[in-house]
Amino acid sequence: MTFEQPTPEEMSERAAIDRSARFPVLFFFTSAAAWLLVATLLGFFSSLKLCVPGLWDNCQFMGYGRLFPAHMNALVYGWAMQAGLGVVLWLMARLSRNKIEHPVALIVAGALWNAGVTFAVITVWFGYGNSLLLLDFPAWVWPILAISYALIVVWILPMFRSRGDSLIYISEMFVLGAVIWFPWIFVTANLLINKGTAPVMAAGVNAWFITNLSYFWMAPIALAIAYYIVPKISGRAVFSYPLAQVSFWLLAALAGWTGFARFMGGPFPAWMSAVSGAAAIFILLAILITVVNLLMTLKGATKIWEFSPSLRFTVFGMLMLAVYALLSAMSSTFLFGKNLQFSHFVVGLDTLAFYGFFSMTVFGAIYFIVPRITGSEWPSGKRIRTHFWFSVYGIITLVICMLVGGIAQGGSLAQWDQTFSTSFVTSSAYVAGRCIAWALISFSNLMFLYQLALMFIGKGRKSAGPTLIHVEPGKVESAKAAAGLN
Amino acid sequence: MLGALGLVFALPWLFLIVIPFIQMSNAEPIPYTEADGVEGSTAYPDKALQRYGASDYGRQIYAAEGCAYCHTQMIRPTYAGPDMWRPGWGGREKEGLARATHPGDYATEKVALLGYQRIGQDLSNVGHRIKSRELMHQHLADPKGLDPNSGMPAYKHLYKKSSVREGYVPTGKAEALVDYLMSLKKDQQIPGAIASGS
Repeated sequence: MTFEQPTPEEMSERAAIDRSARFPVLFFFTSAAAWLLVATLLGFFSSLKLCVPGLWDNCQFMGYGRLFPAHMNALVYGWAMQAGLGVVLWLMARLSRNKIEHPVALIVAGALWNAGVTFAVITVWFGYGNSLLLLDFPAWVWPILAISYALIVVWILPMFRSRGDSLIYISEMFVLGAVIWFPWIFVTANLLINKGTAPVMAAGVNAWFITNLSYFWMAPIALAIAYYIVPKISGRAVFSYPLAQVSFWLLAALAGWTGFARFMGGPFPAWMSAVSGAAAIFILLAILITVVNLLMTLKGATKIWEFSPSLRFTVFGMLMLAVYALLSAMSSTFLFGKNLQFSHFVVGLDTLAFYGFFSMTVFGAIYFIVPRITGSEWPSGKRIRTHFWFSVYGIITLVICMLVGGIAQGGSLAQWDQTFSTSFVTSSAYVAGRCIAWALISFSNLMFLYQLALMFIGKGRKSAGPTLIHVEPGKVESAKAAAGLN
Repeated sequence: MLGALGLVFALPWLFLIVIPFIQMSNAEPIPYTEADGVEGSTAYPDKALQRYGASDYGRQIYAAEGCAYCHTQMIRPTYAGPDMWRPGWGGREKEGLARATHPGDYATEKVALLGYQRIGQDLSNVGHRIKSRELMHQHLADPKGLDPNSGMPAYKHLYKKSSVREGYVPTGKAEALVDYLMSLKKDQQIPGAIASGS
């Protein structure tokens, strides 16, 4: 089934919505991209420090224990949350057919969010952290983030309520879920941890927060993008709307139970890690349904992905989501989990969520959205291709190194009669791989940031045709035409 | 739609997070019985036995330096891993009392620093393994001097001087951190009531 061509009235309505979204959405995208560069550089230096422990011994700011959490804070709150908010704003405006009415208020709230992120990164880096990943800033920082988030999403919910169609698009459902669930987990986790009355549960809540962030922010936004981009670019309706709904409700019902499988054998009642493990395994079903649904939508039109940057990044992101769900389910079983917990595998898994599937899909959305809101095309298809391949090399290197390194390290730790340092030595080559991976990712993001900055300052290419991969800029009217599928 | 989204998440939020949090916040110490044969303490956990030197300051340094990103404080039962078989990890092993960690072991901490990775050794009972403060300082200031294969970085910024020739002159932060590390002994005997699951 293919879409009907939009009427001129619909085209001008979309253009008006895009114009209204221009400044707030670009603000979120550019500040997110700047944080991404900071995050990848911190990721590189933290991996280098782990690889060569004696490096910068005299400098307190270059310890792994400070660089790694600062890197994660910048990656999640600086990049992933802001890029996600930019996508959410634009998607909700387009799907609900509403203009963005208060761009200045959104930019002010966004600036407040950036201030919160700066505090979150700097305080941890300067030695005021509490060793709880992604929640390790001082207690006064999280209200800044929570308030600025509320000031942003308060403009999104009314757009949904006054939507033009009575039908709820599947992308709208995912966006709405992410927007509601994130503050719930964020506020709950911070309140309980700072209350400090149940120390063991605080650690459990931290693990719950990390996995819920993946399933309740990263995954829904990536899926909202995929359910928008794949039909748009292929010109086909989603293969099965009911299947998409099933996967949404499965994810919604199960994700909240995950997290405690990270502490198998830990000081918790055994049912908690068992339930968490089972939930992660069943979520695999939701993700596989979605990926199959999207691939079926693309069936016979996969050639478009050679030319369309948005589709290429989005499809790769979806494949990584399937890999994430598979590895997450595998490590939630007792058979694998008991050796993989606390190994390098955990870092690989978290990075696969925050960078592997989420960021790649968001790049797909940014390559789609920015030309529409700025009215100009990306300057170079070649640089988009470089961004794609270096990101792919980086992600694959990172995931393989951390997975195999995690198995090597976990296997060594499981042999009690080996000295402990054997586990460090056996995995050190893989840690070097992690370092190389972040160098590749940093380079790819430099390409991305450069192009985005050009678009931001109005140096985009003025042309009717889009910038595609493998095609001279402006020569073809769409990726579909380039693939010979019109 | 919004109600349904809230409801599906409210279930795990309530049953996995809020109720267990309240229950653990209100957990009362379990009294020892005569059969436990414990002297000097009446119940588990006994907060008087869990002290980090003069204050909580050392634990804050441990957290701020990100020690928990490489070190766990969680000994698993043997079905999950051989943690207790590693020398010194399980606590009072010479007395046959090595054990996995229990929730009460963290009773005086605001947050249990269970850890994110295990790149370095588990520290639940490091106070048993490293016998003197001098050795602990050496571990922090020059870990490779003690084990050439160690992957731990030296924390020289916590020391005014740190070399074999000049010795180790700690700052106040290093002293507090060592206070905390030396106090890490999650070894209080577990009452029979918990061990038997009653």
